[in-house]
Amino acid sequence: MDPTQSAHVKLLAADLLSLTARSAGAGVSRAGRTITRAEAVGVVVSRDRANKFLRFHVDDGSGCVPCILWLNHRQRPGSGGGPSYMDLTAEVAAEHAAAVRLGALVRVRGRVGVFRGSVQITVGDVVAERDANVEVLHWLQCVRLARLCYDVPAPARPRS
Amino acid sequence: MSSSTINPGILVALPELEPSSPFFKQGMSLRVTGKLQEYIVETAVAIIIDGGATLMIDTQNLRDLGFRIGSIYQFIGELLIQPENDAILKARVGRNVDGIDLNLYHQSVLLRRQFESDLMKLREA
Repeated sequence: MDPTQSAHVKLLAADLLSLTARSAGAGVSRAGRTITRAEAVGVVVSRDRANKFLRFHVDDGSGCVPCILWLNHRQRPGSGGGPSYMDLTAEVAAEHAAAVRLGALVRVRGRVGVFRGSVQITVGDVVAERDANVEVLHWLQCVRLARLCYDVPAPARPRS
Repeated sequence: MSSSTINPGILVALPELEPSSPFFKQGMSLRVTGKLQEYIVETAVAIIIDGGATLMIDTQNLRDLGFRIGSIYQFIGELLIQPENDAILKARVGRNVDGIDLNLYHQSVLLRRQFESDLMKLREA
């Protein structure tokens, strides 16, 4: 299996926002590779809290990545696990929401999807970064990984 | 709020912000970094310096950000060019980035620009 399908792919916003959608629910594609999860690092430049979700944008200088963090775990009967599991999940989501402050440097990881024609990240986890240098490290990793890995054609599937 | 309504703050170094620069445009969204040289409480204007160049920052929209002379700050906002090419950045967000390696930061910005330019050419091909 192509590793970019299961890993959190590190992408700059300009790269992420230019990805093309595959079929519904199948993620997006970059240079022929399927991408389902992504990681972005940048500054929170908008924050819109609703009852069931927190929508925010992360600006890394090349684009603003729309992110959505769901907060309605207690209200979703089909989300699996018992009540304590849902409480824990809701608690973690609330902690993540607290990290999303205007002007904060955050690292966001989650599923890549398309909403109203635009790529967005459905947040799995988000952390506030204290060290400003981690953003620079992320940029360099994005550039290096794109050139050495993501731009290289996916390995052919072995025949079973 | 859709992403189309928010322009990313283009990463620039203060010495690049001169009238002939492509970044020196009215209303352009920029991200700037520099050491706080002066802060005028009455007007909430901060003056930052980097590489010998200075820039005024209008911080009226920023709350919960303390200012300390000599600390390094980063701001994202829109450039307002006043008569006689005096520029001020109207900041939307700002943060203290003490500890940042500014040399590495500026070198990485140049690498990123090259990468983004290559990416754009690839997408257009």
